[in-house]
Amino acid sequence: MARLNNDGQWIVLMGFLVSFSFFFLALVINQSTLVGQSTAESVIEFPKNDIRDISQVIKEHADNNGKISDPIHDDIVNVSLKRKGAVINYTLDLAGTGLGHDPLVDKNNYSMIHYNNGVTEYNENWTST
Amino acid sequence: MVTEGGQLYTIEGVAAALIMLTTAYLVVGATAVYTPGDAHISDMQMEILGTDALKMMDTPQNFTDTKSPLRQIVETDDGSKFWLLFNNTLNNKTGAYPDHIHFTANYSYRVPSDNSINSSFLNASRNLTGGEHAVRVTKWVIVTKKLPPSAATAQDRAVLVEVLLWRD
Repeated sequence: MARLNNDGQWIVLMGFLVSFSFFFLALVINQSTLVGQSTAESVIEFPKNDIRDISQVIKEHADNNGKISDPIHDDIVNVSLKRKGAVINYTLDLAGTGLGHDPLVDKNNYSMIHYNNGVTEYNENWTST
Repeated sequence: MVTEGGQLYTIEGVAAALIMLTTAYLVVGATAVYTPGDAHISDMQMEILGTDALKMMDTPQNFTDTKSPLRQIVETDDGSKFWLLFNNTLNNKTGAYPDHIHFTANYSYRVPSDNSINSSFLNASRNLTGGEHAVRVTKWVIVTKKLPPSAATAQDRAVLVEVLLWRD
Protein backbone atom coordinates (compact mmCIF):
# COMPACT_ATOMS: atom_id res chain seq x y z
CA MET A 1 0.00 0.00 0.00
CA ALA A 2 2.15 2.77 1.22
CA ARG A 3 5.02 1.38 -0.78
CA LEU A 4 2.90 2.06 -3.84
CA ASN A 5 2.03 -1.36 -5.01
CA ASN A 6 -1.55 -1.91 -5.97
CA ASP A 7 -2.31 -4.94 -3.87
CA GLY A 8 -5.07 -5.02 -1.28
CA GLN A 9 -6.79 -1.75 -2.08
CA TRP A 10 -10.24 -3.31 -2.22
CA ILE A 11 -9.69 -4.81 1.20
CA VAL A 12 -8.78 -1.44 2.65
CA LEU A 13 -11.73 0.24 0.94
CA MET A 14 -14.20 -2.34 2.27
CA GLY A 15 -12.65 -1.95 5.71
CA PHE A 16 -13.31 1.77 5.57
CA LEU A 17 -16.91 1.21 4.44
CA VAL A 18 -17.64 -1.24 7.22
CA SER A 19 -16.09 0.94 9.90
CA PHE A 20 -17.99 4.01 8.76
CA SER A 21 -21.28 2.15 8.70
CA PHE A 22 -20.65 1.00 12.27
CA PHE A 23 -19.89 4.57 13.19
CA PHE A 24 -23.19 5.89 11.84
CA LEU A 25 -25.12 3.03 13.43
CA ALA A 26 -23.59 4.00 16.76
CA LEU A 27 -24.70 7.61 16.19
CA VAL A 28 -28.28 6.52 15.58
CA ILE A 29 -28.35 4.26 18.64
CA ASN A 30 -26.90 7.07 20.74
CA GLN A 31 -29.80 9.34 19.77
CA SER A 32 -32.49 6.74 20.35
CA THR A 33 -32.23 6.83 24.16
CA LEU A 34 -32.88 10.56 24.11
CA VAL A 35 -35.90 10.12 21.88
CA GLY A 36 -37.51 7.58 24.22
CA GLN A 37 -36.92 9.77 27.24
CA SER A 38 -38.21 13.00 25.79
CA THR A 39 -41.31 11.31 24.40
CA ALA A 40 -42.28 9.80 27.75
CA GLU A 41 -41.47 13.07 29.53
CA SER A 42 -43.63 15.14 27.26
CA VAL A 43 -46.50 12.71 27.72
CA ILE A 44 -46.15 13.01 31.50
CA GLU A 45 -45.82 16.78 31.29
CA PHE A 46 -49.07 17.28 29.41
CA PRO A 47 -51.79 17.69 32.09
CA LYS A 48 -54.48 15.72 30.31
CA ASN A 49 -55.98 14.30 33.49
CA ASP A 50 -55.93 17.64 35.31
CA ILE A 51 -57.77 19.38 32.50
CA ARG A 52 -60.37 16.62 32.20
CA ASP A 53 -60.84 16.56 35.95
CA ILE A 54 -61.36 20.32 36.26
CA SER A 55 -63.76 20.36 33.35
CA GLN A 56 -65.69 17.41 34.75
CA VAL A 57 -66.00 18.74 38.29
CA ILE A 58 -67.23 22.13 37.10
CA LYS A 59 -69.79 20.65 34.72
CA GLU A 60 -70.95 18.15 37.32
CA HIS A 61 -71.68 20.89 39.81
CA ALA A 62 -72.92 23.65 37.50
CA ASP A 63 -76.65 24.21 37.23
CA ASN A 64 -78.53 24.52 33.94
CA ASN A 65 -77.36 28.09 33.48
CA GLY A 66 -73.75 27.13 34.09
CA LYS A 67 -73.60 28.69 37.55
CA ILE A 68 -71.44 27.16 40.29
CA SER A 69 -71.55 28.20 43.93
CA ASP A 70 -69.02 30.73 45.19
CA PRO A 71 -67.35 28.42 47.77
CA ILE A 72 -66.72 25.79 45.11
CA HIS A 73 -65.37 28.36 42.69
CA ASP A 74 -62.99 29.69 45.32
CA ASP A 75 -62.01 26.12 46.33
CA ILE A 76 -61.06 25.22 42.78
CA VAL A 77 -59.14 28.44 42.13
CA ASN A 78 -57.17 28.43 45.40
CA VAL A 79 -56.45 24.71 45.77
CA SER A 80 -55.39 24.44 42.12
CA LEU A 81 -52.99 27.32 42.48
CA LYS A 82 -51.40 26.10 45.70
CA ARG A 83 -51.44 22.31 45.28
CA LYS A 84 -51.19 21.91 41.50
CA GLY A 85 -49.44 25.12 40.45
CA ALA A 86 -52.14 25.82 37.89
CA VAL A 87 -54.12 28.98 37.32
CA ILE A 88 -57.76 28.19 36.81
CA ASN A 89 -60.58 30.56 36.15
CA TYR A 90 -64.22 29.92 35.50
CA THR A 91 -66.21 32.81 34.19
CA LEU A 92 -69.88 32.87 33.39
CA ASP A 93 -71.56 35.51 31.31
CA LEU A 94 -75.20 35.11 32.33
CA ALA A 95 -77.96 36.24 30.02
CA GLY A 96 -79.80 39.16 31.55
CA THR A 97 -76.82 40.47 33.48
CA GLY A 98 -75.88 42.73 30.58
CA LEU A 99 -72.20 41.87 30.62
CA GLY A 100 -70.70 41.81 27.17
CA HIS A 101 -73.89 41.19 25.26
CA ASP A 102 -77.37 42.59 24.98
CA PRO A 103 -79.67 40.55 27.25
CA LEU A 104 -82.71 41.50 25.19
CA VAL A 105 -81.31 40.02 22.00
CA ASP A 106 -78.93 37.33 23.22
CA LYS A 107 -80.51 34.85 25.63
CA ASN A 108 -77.42 32.66 25.93
CA ASN A 109 -75.21 32.06 28.94
CA TYR A 110 -71.53 31.85 28.07
CA SER A 111 -69.29 29.67 30.24
CA MET A 112 -65.53 29.64 29.98
CA ILE A 113 -62.90 27.51 31.74
CA HIS A 114 -59.38 28.82 31.60
CA TYR A 115 -56.46 26.61 32.60
CA ASN A 116 -52.75 27.47 32.57
CA ASN A 117 -49.99 25.63 34.42
CA GLY A 118 -47.12 27.52 32.82
CA VAL A 119 -46.49 24.87 30.20
CA THR A 120 -49.93 24.13 28.85
CA GLU A 121 -52.77 26.57 28.39
CA TYR A 122 -56.30 25.40 27.80
CA ASN A 123 -59.54 27.26 27.25
CA GLU A 124 -62.96 25.72 27.02
CA ASN A 125 -66.18 27.51 26.09
CA TRP A 126 -69.74 26.43 25.99
CA THR A 127 -73.06 28.12 25.64
CA SER A 128 -76.33 27.36 27.40
CA THR A 129 -79.73 28.91 27.07
CA MET B 1 13.77 15.53 -2.96
CA VAL B 2 10.16 15.42 -4.04
CA THR B 3 9.21 11.80 -4.40
CA GLU B 4 5.77 10.25 -4.38
CA GLY B 5 6.61 7.85 -1.60
CA GLY B 6 4.74 9.33 1.39
CA GLN B 7 1.34 10.17 -0.01
CA LEU B 8 -0.59 7.14 1.18
CA TYR B 9 1.03 7.40 4.60
CA THR B 10 -0.22 10.99 4.76
CA ILE B 11 -3.73 10.05 3.70
CA GLU B 12 -3.85 7.29 6.28
CA GLY B 13 -2.59 9.66 8.93
CA VAL B 14 -5.19 12.30 8.08
CA ALA B 15 -7.99 9.72 8.09
CA ALA B 16 -6.91 8.32 11.43
CA ALA B 17 -6.63 11.79 12.94
CA LEU B 18 -10.11 12.69 11.71
CA ILE B 19 -11.59 9.54 13.20
CA MET B 20 -9.92 10.18 16.55
CA LEU B 21 -10.97 13.83 16.59
CA THR B 22 -14.58 12.97 15.76
CA THR B 23 -14.66 10.29 18.44
CA ALA B 24 -13.29 12.69 21.05
CA TYR B 25 -15.82 15.34 19.98
CA LEU B 26 -18.71 12.89 20.31
CA VAL B 27 -17.56 11.57 23.67
CA VAL B 28 -17.11 15.03 25.16
CA GLY B 29 -20.31 16.37 23.67
CA ALA B 30 -22.54 13.42 24.46
CA THR B 31 -25.46 14.15 26.79
CA ALA B 32 -25.25 12.09 29.93
CA VAL B 33 -28.51 10.14 30.24
CA TYR B 34 -28.56 8.61 33.68
CA THR B 35 -31.92 6.95 33.29
CA PRO B 36 -32.66 4.61 30.43
CA GLY B 37 -35.03 5.98 27.85
CA ASP B 38 -38.02 3.91 28.85
CA ALA B 39 -37.84 4.54 32.62
CA HIS B 40 -40.53 7.21 32.36
CA ILE B 41 -42.94 4.92 30.58
CA SER B 42 -43.64 2.98 33.77
CA ASP B 43 -44.31 6.31 35.54
CA MET B 44 -46.76 7.14 32.82
CA GLN B 45 -48.52 3.80 33.18
CA MET B 46 -48.76 4.13 36.95
CA GLU B 47 -50.18 7.64 36.61
CA ILE B 48 -52.88 6.33 34.29
CA LEU B 49 -53.60 3.41 36.63
CA GLY B 50 -53.97 5.69 39.66
CA THR B 51 -56.10 8.23 37.81
CA ASP B 52 -58.40 5.50 36.55
CA ALA B 53 -58.71 3.99 40.02
CA LEU B 54 -59.66 7.37 41.52
CA LYS B 55 -62.11 8.05 38.70
CA MET B 56 -63.73 4.68 39.26
CA MET B 57 -64.06 5.37 42.97
CA ASP B 58 -65.69 8.71 42.19
CA THR B 59 -68.50 7.03 40.25
CA PRO B 60 -71.73 6.28 42.15
CA GLN B 61 -72.47 2.59 42.31
CA ASN B 62 -76.01 2.80 40.95
CA PHE B 63 -78.75 5.24 40.02
CA THR B 64 -80.25 5.53 43.48
CA ASP B 65 -76.86 6.05 45.11
CA THR B 66 -76.16 9.71 44.50
CA LYS B 67 -72.86 9.79 46.37
CA SER B 68 -69.77 8.12 44.95
CA PRO B 69 -67.66 5.93 47.28
CA LEU B 70 -64.85 8.49 47.15
CA ARG B 71 -67.24 11.26 48.18
CA GLN B 72 -68.51 9.19 51.09
CA ILE B 73 -64.93 8.43 52.14
CA VAL B 74 -63.97 12.11 52.20
CA GLU B 75 -67.20 13.17 53.92
CA THR B 76 -66.79 10.61 56.70
CA ASP B 77 -62.96 10.59 56.77
CA ASP B 78 -63.16 6.84 56.26
CA GLY B 79 -59.51 5.99 55.73
CA SER B 80 -59.95 2.24 56.08
CA LYS B 81 -62.59 2.13 53.36
CA PHE B 82 -60.26 4.10 51.11
CA TRP B 83 -57.49 1.60 51.79
CA LEU B 84 -59.76 -1.32 50.94
CA LEU B 85 -61.22 0.11 47.73
CA PHE B 86 -58.08 1.73 46.39
CA ASN B 87 -55.79 -1.15 47.25
CA ASN B 88 -58.14 -3.70 45.70
CA THR B 89 -58.48 -1.63 42.56
CA LEU B 90 -54.75 -1.11 42.17
CA ASN B 91 -53.25 -4.39 43.23
CA ASN B 92 -55.71 -7.17 42.46
CA LYS B 93 -54.64 -9.31 39.55
CA THR B 94 -55.95 -12.43 37.92
CA GLY B 95 -52.91 -14.40 39.07
CA ALA B 96 -52.29 -15.88 42.47
CA TYR B 97 -50.29 -12.95 43.85
CA PRO B 98 -51.39 -9.33 44.03
CA ASP B 99 -49.39 -6.47 42.57
CA HIS B 100 -47.21 -4.46 44.94
CA ILE B 101 -48.08 -0.81 44.39
CA HIS B 102 -48.02 1.32 47.52
CA PHE B 103 -49.78 4.59 48.14
CA THR B 104 -50.25 7.41 50.58
CA ALA B 105 -53.34 9.57 50.25
CA ASN B 106 -54.67 12.84 51.61
CA TYR B 107 -57.15 15.49 50.58
CA SER B 108 -56.67 19.25 50.47
CA TYR B 109 -59.26 21.91 51.06
CA ARG B 110 -59.45 25.67 51.36
CA VAL B 111 -59.98 27.37 54.71
CA PRO B 112 -62.55 30.06 53.89
CA SER B 113 -61.37 32.60 56.49
CA ASP B 114 -57.95 33.25 54.92
CA ASN B 115 -57.98 31.11 51.72
CA SER B 116 -55.11 28.99 53.04
CA ILE B 117 -54.92 25.29 52.17
CA ASN B 118 -55.20 22.49 54.71
CA SER B 119 -54.44 18.87 54.02
CA SER B 120 -56.08 16.00 55.83
CA PHE B 121 -54.57 12.51 55.85
CA LEU B 122 -56.69 9.66 54.53
CA ASN B 123 -54.62 6.50 54.64
CA ALA B 124 -51.35 4.96 53.47
CA SER B 125 -50.27 1.42 52.70
CA ARG B 126 -46.74 2.27 53.81
CA ASN B 127 -44.99 5.28 55.30
CA LEU B 128 -43.00 7.53 53.00
CA THR B 129 -39.26 7.38 53.60
CA GLY B 130 -38.27 9.89 50.94
CA GLY B 131 -36.46 7.34 48.79
CA GLU B 132 -39.47 6.33 46.74
CA HIS B 133 -39.85 7.25 43.13
CA ALA B 134 -43.45 8.28 43.49
CA VAL B 135 -46.05 9.43 40.99
CA ARG B 136 -48.76 11.87 42.08
CA VAL B 137 -52.34 11.55 40.95
CA THR B 138 -55.22 13.81 41.96
CA LYS B 139 -58.98 13.92 41.73
CA TRP B 140 -61.44 16.70 42.40
CA VAL B 141 -64.42 15.65 44.50
CA ILE B 142 -67.47 17.67 45.46
CA VAL B 143 -68.43 16.97 49.06
CA THR B 144 -70.98 18.29 51.50
CA LYS B 145 -68.96 18.73 54.63
CA LYS B 146 -67.85 21.09 57.37
CA LEU B 147 -64.46 22.27 56.11
CA PRO B 148 -62.47 22.97 58.20
CA PRO B 149 -64.10 20.74 60.84
CA SER B 150 -64.65 23.82 63.02
CA ALA B 151 -66.94 25.38 60.38
CA ALA B 152 -70.48 26.17 61.48
CA THR B 153 -72.45 24.52 58.69
CA ALA B 154 -71.81 21.81 56.13
CA GLN B 155 -71.96 23.06 52.57
CA ASP B 156 -70.97 21.92 49.08
CA ARG B 157 -67.23 22.19 48.70
CA ALA B 158 -64.61 21.06 46.21
CA VAL B 159 -61.70 19.12 47.69
CA LEU B 160 -58.66 17.72 45.95
CA VAL B 161 -57.81 14.09 46.73
CA GLU B 162 -54.08 13.59 46.25
CA VAL B 163 -52.41 10.19 46.11
CA LEU B 164 -48.73 9.32 45.82
CA LEU B 165 -48.10 5.96 44.15
CA TRP B 166 -44.95 3.90 43.94
CA ARG B 167 -43.84 0.36 43.40
CA ASP B 168 -41.85 -1.45 46.02
